[in-house]
Parts: sequence; C-alpha cells; structure tokens
Amino acid sequence: MSAPVAARPTTVDPRAPRFGAAITAVLLLVDVFLGVAGSTLASVLLLAAVTALFAWGAFAGIRRHPYGLLFRRFVRPRLAPPGDLEDAAAPTFAQLIGFVVTVAGLAVALAGVPLAAPIAAGVAFLAAFLNAVFDFCLGCELYLLLVRAGVLGRRR
Amino acid sequence: MVVIAALVVAALVLAASVLGLLWRTTTGRARRVRGPVVRPHELGADALGARATLLQLSTPMCTQCGPTARLLGAEAAARPGVLHLEVDVSERLGLADRFQVLQTPTTLLLDADGRVRGRIGGRPRPDLLARELDLLLESPA
Repeated sequence: MSAPVAARPTTVDPRAPRFGAAITAVLLLVDVFLGVAGSTLASVLLLAAVTALFAWGAFAGIRRHPYGLLFRRFVRPRLAPPGDLEDAAAPTFAQLIGFVVTVAGLAVALAGVPLAAPIAAGVAFLAAFLNAVFDFCLGCELYLLLVRAGVLGRRR
Repeated sequence: MVVIAALVVAALVLAASVLGLLWRTTTGRARRVRGPVVRPHELGADALGARATLLQLSTPMCTQCGPTARLLGAEAAARPGVLHLEVDVSERLGLADRFQVLQTPTTLLLDADGRVRGRIGGRPRPDLLARELDLLLESPA
C-alpha cells in the first residue's frame, strides 16, 4: 500500500461542488448572453457577482460556500448518501482559479475593453460546465501545470 | 445583437459538450507503452512490487485521486506480488517532467523489472484496469 498523498482531512460530498458549478455555469452563460447582446453594464455587474462568489469559495473554503449550504439544506436530503467523499482542497483550489479568471476579466472590462466580461465569463463557463456535467475539474488539473511552470510552489 | 448572442451561447454549450465527450471517451483507458525503467528510490519507496506495480501519480489538488487510490489499492491487494504506490508529483517534479504528466491521476503500470508497460490518464475504469493488469501478469517480459 502507499502513504504520501494521504491525509485527506476535510472532505466534501463530491456532488456539492458539481451542484454549485451548475449554478455558476448558468450564471456565466447568462453573462455571456448579456455581454454579447450589448448590455455591457448588466454583464459586468453579473460577472462581479460571480467573481465575489468564487472569492467566497476560494478564501472561505468550498464547505462554507452559499451553494454548499443550499446543497446540504435542499438537495442532499433527497439523495442517497455519497459513495465517496472527496478532499475539499481540490474544489477550493478550483474556485481560486475561477476567481483569477473572472477578476482578470472584470479588471480588463473596467478598463474599458469591450467584450472583456463576456469573454472571461465564456472561459469560466467552460470549466464550470465540464465540472457540472462531466465531473471533470479543469481548475484542479491546472495545479500541477502551474507547479511545473514554477508559478506555484517552489521549482526544485 | 440578441440573435448573435443566442448563437454565441449555443456555440459555447456545444463546444463545451464536445470537449467533455472527447475527454470522457479517452479518460480511464489504458494505453500500452514500452517506457523506461522506474527505480524505487525515485519514488521514495523501498521496493517495487515483485510482479507488478501500480504507480499512481497524484497531486493534493485532485478530486479523482482518492477514489483512484482506493480502486488501485483493492486491485493490488487482490493479486499477490502487486503493489500500489501513490506519489505526489507536485513534490517530485522530476517524475512529472520525465513522464510528461499533464493530468492527475496518471497511473503507470510497471512490470516486475519496473519497466513502464501501460499508462492510464484519469480515474481508471475498473474492468479495463483489471484486464490490463492480468495481461501484464501473464506476459512478464
């Protein structure tokens, strides 16, 4: 057997982050629609709201995210117990990636670049959709790539 | 503008679905390879499995690594001489570079000599994993 990556302390029902990702994906898709349709202000405001929600998940942890509370209150009681629990660190990190993407889009949009908000929303939508529908965590996969590139952690 | 926006939204959903389906058809499948030999000290381990080793490359930010570890552990435990080793490649970047690990978990199937004979990206499909492992045990060289 093996040891190293053990110590998976705080866990979460894997369906909770996917539930949250589904809501996020819908919000981001609406944002893309608003931005491309010409409602720039509405698009920027909605992106700001999604950015704030990503920040909540990234800095308070996925378990304290409002979508998680919604899930535990209204969805979880209707489901069978989860087969597997997963480490909360990974979805929390994915929230951080979502935050970085959307806050960058927000900054560029506020600098007056047209379509910056819907483009950032489109990128973030891709990740949220893959997470919700296919259970593929794109943000998590970026972790190793960022460590390998020397952006995160220390390159030995 | 509203028509264009609707088209953009539809195209985004379509593109994301195609990407997801592509990922789903490729993930968890074993690719037979004839790679280099892995030595136990590279993994911080004392020894490899006497007959085969399931070498799981993980990171701490990985949703599928826990379930994969349980699956590989059970498959290894069911076969004498087969060892499951899990390594955090974000701590051993040399391994990540050497095996060009882009996704985690990535599982390398090592034969009795430690030679890489198979590679699985993503959470392995239990039936395919069992088949590849049994095939490897039947053809040791």
